[in-house]
Amino acid sequence: MNMVKNSSLIQMKGVTKEYIPRKWFFSKDQSRVVALNEVDLSIKKGEIFGLVGQSGSGKTTLGRLLVRLEEPTSGSISLKGSLINTLKGPSLKDFRSKVQMIFQDPYQSLNPHLSIAQTIGEPLVVQGIGNTRQRRSKVLHTLEIVGLSPGQDFYDRYPHQLSGGQRQRVAIARAIVLEPEFIVADEPTSMLDATIAIQLFTLLLQIRETFNMTILFITHNLAAANYLCDRIGVIHEGCIVEVNTAKKIIGDPVHPYTKKLIRVQPCFDFNRG
Amino acid sequence: MPIWIRGLPIDVRGRTKGVFMLKNHYVQRFLQSWKIFIENPLGKTGVIILFVFMVMALASFVVPHINPMYDPMIGIDPNISISTGPSLTHWLGTDNVGRDLFAQLLEGAKVAFIVGLSSAFFSIVLGMVIGMISGYAGGTLDTFLMRTADIIMVLPSLVILLILSSLFGQFNIWIIVFIIAIMRWPAVSRVIRSQTLSLKHRPFIEASKVAGASHLRIIFRHIMPNVLPLAFLYMTFRVTSAILVEAALSFLGFGDPSQVSWGMMLQWVWKSGNMFHAPYWLLPPGISISLLTLAFYLLGRAMDEVLDPRLRKEGRA
Repeated sequence: MNMVKNSSLIQMKGVTKEYIPRKWFFSKDQSRVVALNEVDLSIKKGEIFGLVGQSGSGKTTLGRLLVRLEEPTSGSISLKGSLINTLKGPSLKDFRSKVQMIFQDPYQSLNPHLSIAQTIGEPLVVQGIGNTRQRRSKVLHTLEIVGLSPGQDFYDRYPHQLSGGQRQRVAIARAIVLEPEFIVADEPTSMLDATIAIQLFTLLLQIRETFNMTILFITHNLAAANYLCDRIGVIHEGCIVEVNTAKKIIGDPVHPYTKKLIRVQPCFDFNRG
Repeated sequence: MPIWIRGLPIDVRGRTKGVFMLKNHYVQRFLQSWKIFIENPLGKTGVIILFVFMVMALASFVVPHINPMYDPMIGIDPNISISTGPSLTHWLGTDNVGRDLFAQLLEGAKVAFIVGLSSAFFSIVLGMVIGMISGYAGGTLDTFLMRTADIIMVLPSLVILLILSSLFGQFNIWIIVFIIAIMRWPAVSRVIRSQTLSLKHRPFIEASKVAGASHLRIIFRHIMPNVLPLAFLYMTFRVTSAILVEAALSFLGFGDPSQVSWGMMLQWVWKSGNMFHAPYWLLPPGISISLLTLAFYLLGRAMDEVLDPRLRKEGRA
């Protein structure tokens, strides 16, 4: 589909993430929770990669590691060949401008005290891009891209004046306003109803086309992943059990867990095309 | 075509709309809160009492200009040399050197407001900043700040003030304000810290982090607006305690001797030996202290209901 299919943008090697419970007096057993276990994964430039798994399988943790909201216990993560584990200061800030995230709950991911303009404009302000006037036109333009048009109407509103779908569009606008190379979308539609979800999928596809962005789409919904993604990875108990093109995963699953996932899928009516 | 929101016309695409919406948002929110607040019997009572004292405090600026003998500190009625009861020229009577008690009461209201509000403000700012930093940073800094808060919280503030003022002589009113503020921030910072802890992991904070925002920006731009209402609530309670501490300190003779205040009036009535035969001198400052602290307390309780809808009674808006 894309010309640069072969070059990988994100490379994870042997990434492990453990949560060690806080040690208290007299507690001898160190029961650690392994969220990710020796994960190897590469995401190609320009693709939408779907990460499918049930709750607690570590899929959100993987996304949070990629945007460096958390640090891996061991292993290495690199963006375009350069390690991101050890970034600090200005280089970390530079990395932040290249990788963005869309969160699950649009009711939680927008600060109720900031207007839409302030929310979307924040990455621009933080990264020191443009002056007030340029930022304003950029925010208005981005609002139009995510389908909140006319942008003027939404510019000065507050999150409580918007519906769930509109809020998630604002969250998407905030993620794309810096024109990052890579976006982690962590179950962006799980809190929304199906018709709005499909609109947002279309929006994500359109954004990928316009900006040539790479998207990691995290979901528990295999059907949604099949609709949206080029390749799908299935994650189970912290291990990636199968990675393949969407067609192969659905049509010819290899791992028993993938088969089980497909079997429990309630319906499979929206095949691609 | 104009659309109508709450009786106000808004042009859908008008240029002024942005400004209007912005103002509308805050105004509306304020009016809504105010309505709940004023419909609450506690809040109503508090506001009325507070209003009376505010008028008194403002009147204290006017009274000395009517006649120099009404100056609360240095104005002396030349005809009077002992404490006298209420009369037409002196509504509440005079003290033992012929100063007007009503003028002193008005001045006392002003001082109570200054002491109460400014020390509450300082302690709130201090408590809020420390609480936010402590909650946001976590780890060793959190432990250190919170243990410091614990230590200060269990110190008896009045005793500390008494010891300090007997060590360094009598304090200026602003130093008293400052010390009260220093003694009173820990409770605020505990509350703000716990609120910050719950905000810290909200996705909108993380989104800002992913965008590359600095810690300072996250604290002051994202966390502060969310904890501010709570801080204001605590401010009303701090006002109460600051007024009481200042009154107690003055009554015990450790106040600012160059400043009339209600506590100081009580100290003078006691020191001059008029405690038991000048009720017109003893009662007004005592009642005023009780009423003003009560007003702020009621205000705080009513504000609590505005902030926490669960406290509102059924059937009320």
